[in-house]
Amino acid sequence: MNISLLAKHQKLFSIACASLTLSITLGIGLGNAKPLADISWLDIIGEGSIALLSLLWIFFILVSRPPGKVTSALIIGLSCILFTANLDLVDEFIYYQEAVSWLSMIESIPAGLGMLIMSYALYQWHQEQLILNKQLQKRESNFRQHQQVDFITTLYDAEYMRNQIDTELQNKAQPDFSVVMLDINNFDLFNRRFGHELGDNLLREISDLILMNLRATDLACRYAGDRFILLFPDTDLEVAQKIASQIKRAIANIAFKPELSADPVYHQLTFAVESAKFGDVTENILQRVSRRLELFKQGQTS
Amino acid sequence: MTLSTLSTFTAIRTFTNKPSYFCIDDKSIPAHQLAASVLDFSHSRQVNKDKLLRGTGIFSQDLISDKKLSSQQLLKLLNNAQDLTPGNDSAFLLGNRLFPSNYGAISNALMHSRNLSDMLNVLAVLRSQICPFFSANAYTTAHRHYLLITDTVGCKNQLQFLCELYFSALVSATKLIFGQRIPFQFDFPFARPKYIQEYEVHLGHRLNFSQPMLSISFDKKCLSTPNQHSSENLKWHAIKQAKHLPMPKQGFLEAVRRHLTAQHNMGLQHIADLFDMSPATFKRKLKQHGVSFQQLQDELGKQQALFLLQIQQLSNEQSANLMHFNDISNFRRSVKRWTGLTPSQLRLTFKN
Repeated sequence: MNISLLAKHQKLFSIACASLTLSITLGIGLGNAKPLADISWLDIIGEGSIALLSLLWIFFILVSRPPGKVTSALIIGLSCILFTANLDLVDEFIYYQEAVSWLSMIESIPAGLGMLIMSYALYQWHQEQLILNKQLQKRESNFRQHQQVDFITTLYDAEYMRNQIDTELQNKAQPDFSVVMLDINNFDLFNRRFGHELGDNLLREISDLILMNLRATDLACRYAGDRFILLFPDTDLEVAQKIASQIKRAIANIAFKPELSADPVYHQLTFAVESAKFGDVTENILQRVSRRLELFKQGQTS
Repeated sequence: MTLSTLSTFTAIRTFTNKPSYFCIDDKSIPAHQLAASVLDFSHSRQVNKDKLLRGTGIFSQDLISDKKLSSQQLLKLLNNAQDLTPGNDSAFLLGNRLFPSNYGAISNALMHSRNLSDMLNVLAVLRSQICPFFSANAYTTAHRHYLLITDTVGCKNQLQFLCELYFSALVSATKLIFGQRIPFQFDFPFARPKYIQEYEVHLGHRLNFSQPMLSISFDKKCLSTPNQHSSENLKWHAIKQAKHLPMPKQGFLEAVRRHLTAQHNMGLQHIADLFDMSPATFKRKLKQHGVSFQQLQDELGKQQALFLLQIQQLSNEQSANLMHFNDISNFRRSVKRWTGLTPSQLRLTFKN
């Protein structure tokens, strides 16, 4: 588990801690302990789990989200709920003194307030998500599955592409999409010369460039190694070929600079295009396009 | 043809004294080689080092020392790496980094070999130093060269991972040495994996899955693929250096198989004697490497039958003769038991 984001939330972390300690000290400081016979363990389990789970949620939000308005609102809301849940839990163990009977009357107010703040935060989150979806558009179609994201390029992997092609094939009686497979020439030589870390960087930069050259409806995934695969819905062979050539030209013009050196390394791509045929299955399309790519690559070396 | 077949089978060294070999728990593999590569790779994938080394008995300071590791420790390490590294490509990427890497003299020897045939010969002599888990037996037919691959110390659960690792190392090493891709065909005993794209990109498109034997084959003509950097002097110097390293040439199972192939119908008592063990100890030793004596014998029978019937296309009589069967129907029954197919069915399954 990666908890590096936690360090960026010092203020929010103190708010959550303050809510926790304040509620407990208030409860314990102003009350007298109940005799053991009066304690209802069932209530304690119920109210205890509310307090515990809201703490858990606070933790997960802190480690998952970068700082910002939405994150703050979520944490403040949850801290209010935590405050009430804690007071509820503590008063299972104590009787309040006469003078502070008001405390048990107002103890549910923070929870209500928290719910309001959370609702506002969730609406903001929804807005944020719409923006993020737009940012991710060329990386994912209408389906999200984070387990299938490739570690290096943060594009989706081949399995995700297979599912998307499956969906394309199922949705239409007459398939009309094209698939492009592209491969960096002499990537292994680059790796040997500059090391694998730079090789990984190159893959990242190339995947960004591919995304830049795609239309909003297209999808790019990492196939394997230095090979990428693109899906163009509602696109015939000719148009797909055109876009692929544009990507090839864009990458050929990028002066990739390994680390501090000023001498750029230029990269050429090889690509192959295939269109879906009537009655096609995913595996066949992938076979055809990767065979064709293989042929082109052999043609270059000999 | 019959004679040459016979000679390919018996052209195996026979031992007069106790064979030298390494067992799965013998510490004979330098830690700064494969283990170091695994650690570097996993580090680049942000895998926690302590988790990676858990249960292996390897410490990070071992990797910069002259310490030796056992096959068992390495297998455990590879297992951890496989579990902890995201994606399905870790074996392939590791394979690409394996050569020339930290193998010093042996990499030099391979680097300066004359051609592919020469490279495979160098590999046959020094193999245990660079690839301790697999051994290869070479066979040639009219048009193709075959390398039948078997495990040297047992690796049952990790066969697939090791295939991905060492086969992609072979592909990327030959590409580096010869400047071109050799059209290797790979036959795997396991089923076609879901992540077939990794196989295609790293090993090429000539792939068969669910095959009776693990093998690599290629057009015989490729054996003469020249190496631009060949140098006899540098090669022999490197081989000499590599031979100084105290690593036994073969694994335990490999040594047992050699004896069983060299002499047919060898009994348990006899082979245990050759290895200077009591039959009970010998059986225990086999079990430690994940096989039984019967399994080994069946496996060798299966290999020979497949080679003679499927690849060489010999008749039942010729094959039975070469495999020392006196009775054809007995031979047919054994073949059926080993491979699930009758001899005539096997001959039909030949593919070019």
